[in-house]
Amino acid sequence: MLTNSRNRFVLLLSCLLLICAAAREARAQGGQSFDISSGGQPTITGGLGASVAGSASPLNNLAVTINFGEVSAANANSVVKVVVPVAVRSRNPYKVTVSVTGSSNVDPRAIQLTDIGFGVSNMRPLGGKAQICNSSSHLFYSPFNNDPSTSFTLNASGRVAYTSDLADVGSATTILSGPKLTQGTGSSRRDDDAWVFDAVFVITPQFFAPGTASATLTFQISSGPNVQC
Amino acid sequence: MSRTFSTLVRACFAAAILVAAAASAEAQSTTGTVTMSATVSKFVEINSGGAVTLSGNSGGGVTTDGTAGQPLAVSINLGELGPSNTNSFVTANVPLRIRSNAGYVLSVSATVSSSGTTANKISAADVGFGLGAVSRTGTGVNTSGTDTNATAGDPTLAANGSVNGTTGRYEFTATRSNLSAFSTSTTALSGSYVMNAVPRSNGNGLNVPAMFAIKPQFFENGSTTINVTFTVTAP
Repeated sequence: MLTNSRNRFVLLLSCLLLICAAAREARAQGGQSFDISSGGQPTITGGLGASVAGSASPLNNLAVTINFGEVSAANANSVVKVVVPVAVRSRNPYKVTVSVTGSSNVDPRAIQLTDIGFGVSNMRPLGGKAQICNSSSHLFYSPFNNDPSTSFTLNASGRVAYTSDLADVGSATTILSGPKLTQGTGSSRRDDDAWVFDAVFVITPQFFAPGTASATLTFQISSGPNVQC
Repeated sequence: MSRTFSTLVRACFAAAILVAAAASAEAQSTTGTVTMSATVSKFVEINSGGAVTLSGNSGGGVTTDGTAGQPLAVSINLGELGPSNTNSFVTANVPLRIRSNAGYVLSVSATVSSSGTTANKISAADVGFGLGAVSRTGTGVNTSGTDTNATAGDPTLAANGSVNGTTGRYEFTATRSNLSAFSTSTTALSGSYVMNAVPRSNGNGLNVPAMFAIKPQFFENGSTTINVTFTVTAP
């Protein structure tokens, strides 16, 4: 009698576990056709007391921290440039949007969102399970389809102005879209089933007003324009 | 029956474990973040504002000249300062260029040493000094900034010197009008930030001439070395 009770208990527990796992798997299958992660090790050049931290593995989430360091005229380099590889996966046509949050500086001489150049480029497949589509292309959206470290001018006041910068980012600004990115219909994240693009961030050291500045850019991947593969 | 039931239970349990494990493999995310920060410290610099102008000299010349935007490292031979030089003054005009992203202070310190041994040798008081008109012009310059000149300006101005009625020696008499007032580091000029948010490659800045003057007199013969150091800070 005790044995039967124990077996019933184990059976009940197993069924419970099975139901929970199945539910979770169903949620993963239906809600995660899209995925965004690290595309590789971020890099930084031209910094003075600068750093960048982020995972080099495309199996890890995209969570990068950039410290541009000293960006007054004390930094004699022409530009501080950070390249962040971003991996994207999808089993359907997709789009990537960005949004920005950050502390604003009241002093117009202090660092503003317009002083941080931002551009995207260099779309390439990551691994043999990345989907190659011939009917449609992956499109970077203007004005972000540039490298801000080479595409800037001086405005009438002599201040650096980029072709695209963080001030061009709204609440959900599309920067990239295209056909499906990943072969198959599974929902797991692999290291050979993505496409990777470079997100480039730039600050030119200038005679800014003394102080600090910060901002956070959030990338999101979701369903995009219906284009053929 | 109990064996079958037992087998069923174990199979169910195993299947549950497998499904749970599969469901937890490599979680995905539809969002990712890049967080960034930057720091701007106070920054000031002083460089040459251009070529030196030497006038009233007899012999001598500019040994190492100034080049606009380059480090200030000027060397001047004032030439003959005895009465054989019949010019009113020997003057040297040394352009300075100051740039900053914060309020600045320009300090001056000077040493004057002569080979002579009497009171008639050239001393710090015999070297007139002053800062001329400040100029804030050009793209990127804070043209509405203000500056306070703590010197008496052009030392050759009549208001800044005269012949001592007792000794007959020409003296620069105004406050901070000669190098004896700068035997230790002393503020000569101060003001608000010079540059707006422009790159360091922008060549403009605040320009001000450092003016030196010596009136040729019957000084004790010998040689004199004058060293002047300009220091700019952002308090």
